[in-house]
Amino acid sequence: MVKHSPVTGRYVTIDVDGQEYKVFYLHNGRGQPLICQHTAGCHNHQWRGLLEDAEITKHYNVIAYDLPRHGKSDPPHNTEWWKQEYKLTADHYCNFILRLCDALELKEPIFMGSSFGGNVALQLALRRPDRFKAVIPVEAADYAPGFYLDWWRHPHANAAQVCGSGVWDLMAPQSPEMDRWLTWHYYTQGSEAFKGDLYFYSVDHDLRDELQNIQGRKCPVIMMTGTYDYLTPPEATENTARRIRGGVYIEMDDIGHFPMSENYDVFRVYLKEALRIIRERTDG
Amino acid sequence: MKQDPKTWADKYANLTNSDETIGAMAKYYTCSFMFDMTDCRFIIEMHDGKIKNINTDPGPLDAYDFALRASAATWREFSQPVPKPMYHGIWSASFRKDLKIEGNHLVLMQNLRNFTVQFELLRKSGVPV
Repeated sequence: MVKHSPVTGRYVTIDVDGQEYKVFYLHNGRGQPLICQHTAGCHNHQWRGLLEDAEITKHYNVIAYDLPRHGKSDPPHNTEWWKQEYKLTADHYCNFILRLCDALELKEPIFMGSSFGGNVALQLALRRPDRFKAVIPVEAADYAPGFYLDWWRHPHANAAQVCGSGVWDLMAPQSPEMDRWLTWHYYTQGSEAFKGDLYFYSVDHDLRDELQNIQGRKCPVIMMTGTYDYLTPPEATENTARRIRGGVYIEMDDIGHFPMSENYDVFRVYLKEALRIIRERTDG
Repeated sequence: MKQDPKTWADKYANLTNSDETIGAMAKYYTCSFMFDMTDCRFIIEMHDGKIKNINTDPGPLDAYDFALRASAATWREFSQPVPKPMYHGIWSASFRKDLKIEGNHLVLMQNLRNFTVQFELLRKSGVPV
């Protein structure tokens, strides 16, 4: 039996800080834009459950893109990128997301990201609260040191397996085995970008002295973290949310650092609550 | 009741050697490592995805590539069918609990896929501490 998904993919070419990126994105749904960032070293299939969630896509235009150098989004076509070590900065990351939202003509999107996508959600809330209806930082904190490791691309080890199995413990043992192995599979595909992504995650991202400047009432910040996340443990997220004016913290039981990918059925319960709070605080 | 170390070793070897996930990528999974459970220590010798030997009474000069050292209480948490948060793997326990990873980390990383699968077999074998 042939079964087609309602999810479709497109490319859009944008210029960000002089870099020409041909960006691949998946989308499905109508209504309020909800744009989603995958985790470091991964790609947009992490959002496969959300993209096909009929209840949510009935009211939300869900867009999940591949960051350049991930999935089907190439490194820049106008740069000899192979001659420089990749290190993602907060400035470039934010500029990319803003430029992409402009190119897709998204009016007041909700931005959601997990892990390094969650940390950039905090950056966006700080820098451009005028541009987003709300942000949902998942598995995020003001500061997340400790994961910018040489092991992710050590030439004496199988980098694909180190990345896939190195993040295995970030998932909860209760999450379905198939979904954990699919997440492992995605991670074997992103090993060349993982360490450079983590430069942002563990080094360049540091909002410890900036949280009080996030306008959480203008741009609601709804933070969610799983109880099995050892990298951004629940208390790190909770402490971050508490220091943001109007910040909300939701703890997700029995799930880990890749909730949308490792156990979507559990994650969607919490996501629906986050979206409800945003509707309540923004009248729409 | 605590398991006898040799009984545990036999059970852990059988679980490892019959594991399909390890078996699917067993070739070259060859290394040795110590499980230091404080009250008991073991050196596990792997060859092409199978346990060749478990040394249940390591001497001071017996060699291995890397070691995992933690309290007996932590090893008991590792062996629960569904471990509590932060006891659910070597990364989480080394970041947040008392697990120490010592020795040649490169060998661990070179074999990380299979070692991670094998470590979780403790949830079926239990631990002798």
